[in-house]
Amino acid sequence: MRDLFLHRDLIWHLVQRDLRVRYRRSTLGLLWTMLQPLLMMLILHVVFSHAFRVELYSYPVYALAGILFWNFFSQSIVASMNSLRGNAAILSKLPVPKAAFPVATVISGVVNLALAMVPLLAILIVTGHPLSWALLFLPVSILLAGLFTLGAGLLLSPLAVFFSDVVELVTVMLTLCMYLTPIFYPMSIVPDQFRWLVRFNPIRSILEVFRDPIYFGKIPPPQHLAVCAVVALVALAIGALAFRRSSDRIPFYI
Amino acid sequence: MPEPVIELEGVSLCYRLAKQRIPSFKEYALHWVRGALTYEQLWALRDVTLRVDRGETLGIVGRNGAGKSTLLKVISRVLVPTRGRCLVRGRVAPILELGTGFDYELTGRENVFLNALLLGHSRRSIEERYDAIVDFSGLGDFIRSPVRNYSSGMLARLAFSILTAWTPDVLVLDEFLAVGDVHFLRKCEERLDALKAAGTTMLLVSHMAEAIRTHCRRCVWLDGGRLVADGTPDDVLERYAGANGPPAVTPAPVF
Repeated sequence: MRDLFLHRDLIWHLVQRDLRVRYRRSTLGLLWTMLQPLLMMLILHVVFSHAFRVELYSYPVYALAGILFWNFFSQSIVASMNSLRGNAAILSKLPVPKAAFPVATVISGVVNLALAMVPLLAILIVTGHPLSWALLFLPVSILLAGLFTLGAGLLLSPLAVFFSDVVELVTVMLTLCMYLTPIFYPMSIVPDQFRWLVRFNPIRSILEVFRDPIYFGKIPPPQHLAVCAVVALVALAIGALAFRRSSDRIPFYI
Repeated sequence: MPEPVIELEGVSLCYRLAKQRIPSFKEYALHWVRGALTYEQLWALRDVTLRVDRGETLGIVGRNGAGKSTLLKVISRVLVPTRGRCLVRGRVAPILELGTGFDYELTGRENVFLNALLLGHSRRSIEERYDAIVDFSGLGDFIRSPVRNYSSGMLARLAFSILTAWTPDVLVLDEFLAVGDVHFLRKCEERLDALKAAGTTMLLVSHMAEAIRTHCRRCVWLDGGRLVADGTPDDVLERYAGANGPPAVTPAPVF
């Protein structure tokens, strides 16, 4: 922890480098990175809006909020797994706090998610979705999502060093998780016998705290918020502990 | 009153090499289920006890695979020993391998920042020293071109300039003085003397007996992971040369 703080300038440098790579292509970089979620939203809209019409008004907003959250979550995890592998030479030859790389990766993911709020706002306006003061609550939601994702990233990234196929394995697991999370479908279509699976999915509570202000225009109710905060902090604690236990072994496997 | 900076007590380090190559989780699980996970143990360091005081310069000799680099990695806090205790007081600045911490696509300038940040320096203190670093490196306008165009000598210049722009408590140089031209080597030596005067402890691995003799007043010999000799450079180098037949201390060619 103290080491990470001492290396804060390094972490910030890594974040900047990450963002620069992502937005280098042009000043339209931001639009480009938004293109994928927007297209995804369009496809889901065409395919599903008919099916869910009864349950959901302005489905595009519902789906887009879900997609943005999911992209952040899944991309950050895969990227933090790759961040340790990609910096193998450094980790085995310099006394750098190893967590600096996954931490920087998740921070740049958080910055990306925050930037994506601008086009999201545009979509809200275009689709005539009511804007609410609850949108100002989003920084808290994004922070909680960031802590949760960091926990998952810290837990999984050392595994990617020990075994080369873990990234693929995790990618598959993430797809499974995506279907268990109400990203693009409403809770109400889940058959009763499976509902507990979705309900007790911790990712869902993080997602809903993020989506409530956007879609419903309301600040999440206190009990949801409390569950979400506990989930995020427990994930972070587990991730940090696991990382601490395994980080000494990392240079041996690179 | 000599003050210990590095204290190793019974340090052993084991690389556990799986007999079967297990690159994937799937295979690991399969092997684990069959109970067929066996490992070959390679002890790179065996029960090394060593104390180095502030301001001392220690030479380390030994054949390839004797454990020199592993010892430096333990002292640099890159590897944690399997057994024993390693205590190092203060900041360690290592060059364990030339080019570590450089991004070859970035310019020299950007690499000064990247490299120094990796060593744990703050952006501000790098900015303060930037001109002095470039000046000492003697790279001139090359600092603006990508590092992939650098020769190994130029890379060594830059790495050394960055590393010694601060005064580390422990400076670790693994085979470093074999690169670089005579002119730069002289500058390096001046810089090393200044650091020594400032109280930096140095560890020097070299196959060049001369380098050890000029810089160190103490030398240790590692063989098979064990510390087999500890004494004055003349003494240790003589025994080392004797044990290895014809002198294995010819400098590696540098191009």
